[in-house]
Amino acid sequence: MISQSATPTNPGFVPPGAKDFQFPPIWGDSIYLTKPVILIGLSVVIISSFLLAATRNKAVVPGRLQFAGEGVYTLVRNTLGRDVIGPEYLKFVPLLFSIFCFILVNNIFGIVPLIQFPTMSHIGFPVAVMIFSYVTYHYIGVEKHGLVKYLKDICFMPGIPKPVYLILTPVEILTYFVTRPLTLSLRLFANMFAGHLLLLVFAFGGEYLISSGLIMKVLGVFSFGMAVGLSFFELGIQCLQAYIFTLLSALYIAGALAEGH
Amino acid sequence: MSDTGKKPGSPNEEGAFWSIIGYLVSGLLIWGGGGLLLDKWLGTSFLGIGGLLLGVTSAIYLIWLRFIRD
Repeated sequence: MISQSATPTNPGFVPPGAKDFQFPPIWGDSIYLTKPVILIGLSVVIISSFLLAATRNKAVVPGRLQFAGEGVYTLVRNTLGRDVIGPEYLKFVPLLFSIFCFILVNNIFGIVPLIQFPTMSHIGFPVAVMIFSYVTYHYIGVEKHGLVKYLKDICFMPGIPKPVYLILTPVEILTYFVTRPLTLSLRLFANMFAGHLLLLVFAFGGEYLISSGLIMKVLGVFSFGMAVGLSFFELGIQCLQAYIFTLLSALYIAGALAEGH
Repeated sequence: MSDTGKKPGSPNEEGAFWSIIGYLVSGLLIWGGGGLLLDKWLGTSFLGIGGLLLGVTSAIYLIWLRFIRD
């Protein structure tokens, strides 16, 4: 994290902003090698090695690591797969499990000391994950019902007078093809962005106050305390957002599979 | 879509919540936005408001169809 306020001339408090989400290239001038890109790679390494370690020595009575891995897997399979998608859930569990782990680890990076940056607060990453879910639910919908019937089911809800379709059909089309993927990725991005900004405000504010007068030092300590407390609050948000993203993906898949929507 | 789900419980309520948001945003965007564009083109001032109202109405009607009627 780049320190903002400790300049010798002391220009006053510089509040954190969107500029604190821009990182310089780590090596050379390559814009493809910045902190978020490294973190994404790191998350893949962490998830892979955790899951490999958790499944290496499979036992009927699970060890601690296997227990943790199975706990996460069972949560995704049962509450997000089986309960939402229904009888055909099993073939979607790998996708849902991957999405959940990937988002969860990248979100939690936001409060891990020394890393302290939620990768998903860069809009590109939620959009990339969203594309997987978007392509999947439209693809399986077309595969199951055929292109014409799938589009017809989306555009024309049964049981309403024909002239009303003129008004409702554009809304339906926009919902299925634009609003849903947009809200899916924007919600994750905005939550992570705002959460990280909130922590930055208290941390930078605390740093600035501590470098000021005596009474301000006390307030600065309080501000740092807030930053630590809010980190735990953020942990809740981070887990919740990973869960909601996966849940909505599962719901959209379930909707595409359903007869007549 | 079967967002209303088979079982009552928190996952489907969460899904319903975001579906409702989606409908409201879509309705406002397409009819309100269309109305505002028409206003700009024709130099009138009532089409934007009318479009927004139509958008909200159609969104609420769709929400009713999907979540309350079934």
